[in-house]
Amino acid sequence: MIDPTKPDLEESVNVTATHERVVRGAAAASRENKLTENGAEPVSLWVTALCFIPVLAAGWTLGNAGTLFSYKDTVKSGYVRMIPDDGEGDAIPPKTALDAYMAKGAKIYSKCSGCHGPDGKGDGANYPSLADSKWVHGETERFAMVILNGLTGPTSTGKTFGVMPAQGAGMSAEDLACLMTYVRNNFGTKTGDVVTKQMGVAALEISGKRAKVGAPVTGDELTADHSKNLPGDVLDPKTMLDPKTLEPAAAQ
Amino acid sequence: MSTASSQTPVNDAIRRAEIDVSLRHPVMFFFTSGAAWLAVAILLGIISSAKVHSPGFLDGCAFLTYGRVQSAHISALVYGWGCQAAFGSLVWLMARLSRQECRAAGLILVAGHVWNLAVSLGIFAILAGKGTGMPWMEFPVFAWVPMLASYFLIALWSMVQFKVRPAGHVFISQWYILAALIWFPWVFATAHIMIHGFSGNPVMDAAINAWYRSALIFLFFLPTGIAAAYYLIPKVTGRPVYSYSLSMLGFWSLAILGPWAGMQKLTGAPIPNFLPYLGAAATILIAVPAIAVGVNLLKTAAGAPDTVVNSPTLRFTVAGVICLLVVAIACVFLNNPAILPGTQFSMAGYGFDLLVLYAFFSFIAFGMIYFVVPRITRREWLSSRLIKMHFFLSVYGVALVVLVALFGGAMQGIGLEAFKQPFEDAMTRAYPYAVATTLAWCFLLFSNVFFFFHLTLMWLRLGRRSSHPTLLGVHHDDEMHDAIHGPEGDIDNGGPGSATAHSH
Repeated sequence: MIDPTKPDLEESVNVTATHERVVRGAAAASRENKLTENGAEPVSLWVTALCFIPVLAAGWTLGNAGTLFSYKDTVKSGYVRMIPDDGEGDAIPPKTALDAYMAKGAKIYSKCSGCHGPDGKGDGANYPSLADSKWVHGETERFAMVILNGLTGPTSTGKTFGVMPAQGAGMSAEDLACLMTYVRNNFGTKTGDVVTKQMGVAALEISGKRAKVGAPVTGDELTADHSKNLPGDVLDPKTMLDPKTLEPAAAQ
Repeated sequence: MSTASSQTPVNDAIRRAEIDVSLRHPVMFFFTSGAAWLAVAILLGIISSAKVHSPGFLDGCAFLTYGRVQSAHISALVYGWGCQAAFGSLVWLMARLSRQECRAAGLILVAGHVWNLAVSLGIFAILAGKGTGMPWMEFPVFAWVPMLASYFLIALWSMVQFKVRPAGHVFISQWYILAALIWFPWVFATAHIMIHGFSGNPVMDAAINAWYRSALIFLFFLPTGIAAAYYLIPKVTGRPVYSYSLSMLGFWSLAILGPWAGMQKLTGAPIPNFLPYLGAAATILIAVPAIAVGVNLLKTAAGAPDTVVNSPTLRFTVAGVICLLVVAIACVFLNNPAILPGTQFSMAGYGFDLLVLYAFFSFIAFGMIYFVVPRITRREWLSSRLIKMHFFLSVYGVALVVLVALFGGAMQGIGLEAFKQPFEDAMTRAYPYAVATTLAWCFLLFSNVFFFFHLTLMWLRLGRRSSHPTLLGVHHDDEMHDAIHGPEGDIDNGGPGSATAHSH
C-alpha cells in the first residue's frame, strides 16, 4: 500500500532524472530510497527451531540453579585453593640434626603445652614439670611409653598428679622422635642427643606389644619393662639434615 | 513547519535536506567527539591490556596503574564513544523518521558539551584515583547528575518530534528509538540513585551494579544499534523489511527479557541464589530477539547483495548485524551451567562487553556515521580506500579481541574453577590470550586511524562536492573511470545513471 501523504514510503524515484533543478547540496538526500512498507513473510520453521535452542539452554540453567536461597547445590564444598609448592622447599638450607628435629618437635609440643606449659614446668599442682624430670631426660624407651600411652599413678618424683591421657593416637614415628628430641633438649637439663625416626618406629612397635595395650602405663611397669634406651643407631646431632625430610642433606 | 509537503520527490529531498541541516551541528558534534573518545578508549585499552601480561609496563606513576587505566578505558568506551554515537544516531533517526526539523539544535549542542565535560572530569577523577570502583559506574558521584540532566536535554526533543509526527505509520526503527530513549534514563537513574542515593546493603549494591551493566547493554546499546540497522538496511537497499512478525518478536522479546538479565555476573556471591541463575537464563534468552532481528535484517539485505558489497554504510551495518548473531551464540555459551561459574572472574565478561559494544554497536555506529555525515556536511567521503582499510582492519581486530576474550575467558575460568590446582595455573592459561588482546587493541587503533583521519577531513568540510557517493566498488565498473571516487561529476549533472550509484 502506498500512502501519498508519506513521501518516505513511496517507490524510489531518481530525483535528478525527473527534475533538473536539484537543490544544491541536497544531492545525498535526493539520492535516497524511500522506506517501503514492511514485508509480511511468516516466521519460518527453522527460525523457530533456532530460537528453541536458547530456550532449552535457559531451561538447563534454571534446572541447575538449585533452590531459591540454598547455596549447597551450586557452591563446591571444601573450596580451598591449593597453595602451590613454590620450589622453596628445595632451597631451605640444611640444619644440624638436633636443630632439624627440634624445629619439628616444637610444633608438636604445642599440643602438650596446654598442660605442661610452654616452658615445660607444669603448674606444680595438677600437671608435673618436664624440665628436670628423670624420666624425660633418662632412658628414651620409658619416656616414649609415657607419651604414647599416658601415665597413671606416681611420676618420677613420687608425687601423684592424676592421669595423663595417651598421646599416641595419630602420632607417627617421626612426630614422636621430634617431640622427644625437643622436650629432652629444651627444658631444664639438655641431653644433647637426638631420638631418631628409626627409634620412633621401634617405640611404636614396643608400645604395641605391651601386655596391657591401650592402658596408661604405671611407674612400676616402666621400671620393670622399659628402663632402657630405644634401639637404633645413634645419630650425631651435628649431622646436617634436610629440615623437611630429616634425611641427610647433600653436603653444601 | 511545512505541513503542506507536496509529494514531489524534489520536495521530499528538500525536506530531508532541511532536517539534515537543522541537525548539522549537534549530530556532527556527537560523532566527532565520540570518535575522539574512541581514540582515548583504545589507547587506554592498549595500556590496561598490556598490564595484564606485563605488569611492569608503564608502572612508574600511580595514575597509570591497572585499576585506574582499565576503569578509565571502559568508561571512555561506554560514555565517551558509545553513548555519544548513540545520541547522534538516535537524534538524527528520530528527526528523519518523524519528518521533523530539529528546533533545539543549540540546546542539544550545549547538553552535548555538558555530557562531554562530565565524562572528561570523570575520566580525570578516575585516573587521579577517585573512581568509585564499581564497574561502568566508576565516575565519582559528581558526574552522574549532569550526565542525566544533559541526557534529558538531548532526548527530550526526539520524544517531542515523535509526538507531533505526521499521523500514520510508525516505522520499526522508531519503536527501538523510543524504547532506548525511555530505557536509558530508567536504567541509569535507577542504578545511580539506588547506589549513590540510598545507603543500602553493599552486597545488593553490587547486584544492582551488575544489573546496570547488563541493562545498559541490552536496553540501550542493543535497541539503539538495532534501530539504526532497521533504518539503514531498508533505506540503502530500497527493499522492504523481510518480516513484520519477526520484527514484533524481536522487539517485544527484548523488551520483556532485557530487564531480567544481569545478575549472573554475581554467580556464587552471597545474594539470594536464584538471582544469578534467573539472570543467566534471561541472558541466554536474549539470543531469541538477537536471532529474530539478525535473521530479519540479513534476509532484508540478502535481496541486494551488490549493494551490500558496494555501500560503506551497509558493509559496516551488515557486519554489525552478523555480530548480533555472534552475541546470541555468546549469550548461550557463557551463561549455561557448565561455563557460567568460571566466567565471573575471567576475561569472558570483558569479552562479552566488547562483543556488544564494539563488534555489534560500534560497527553499526560506523555504518551510521558513513551514512549521515555526507548528508549533514553536504560533502561526500573522500576515499573509498580509507573506508575499506577501516572496515577490514576493524573486522580483523574486533574478531581477534572478541574471540580471544571469550575463549580465553572460558579457558581462564576452567583454570580458576580447578581449585585443587595452584592459582598460577589459571594465570598461565590466560597469559597468551592477554597478549593477543593487547595486539588486537593495537590492531583496532591502527584501523581507526583511517577512520579518525577521514572523519576529521569531513569535519573540516574538505569532503568531495559531488552528486556521486563514495562506493567501495569491488568489481571494475565501466562507468567508474576513477575507482576511488566512483564516477566523476559535479553537483548539477544528470545524476547517477547506474543502479549501484543509488546505493549509498
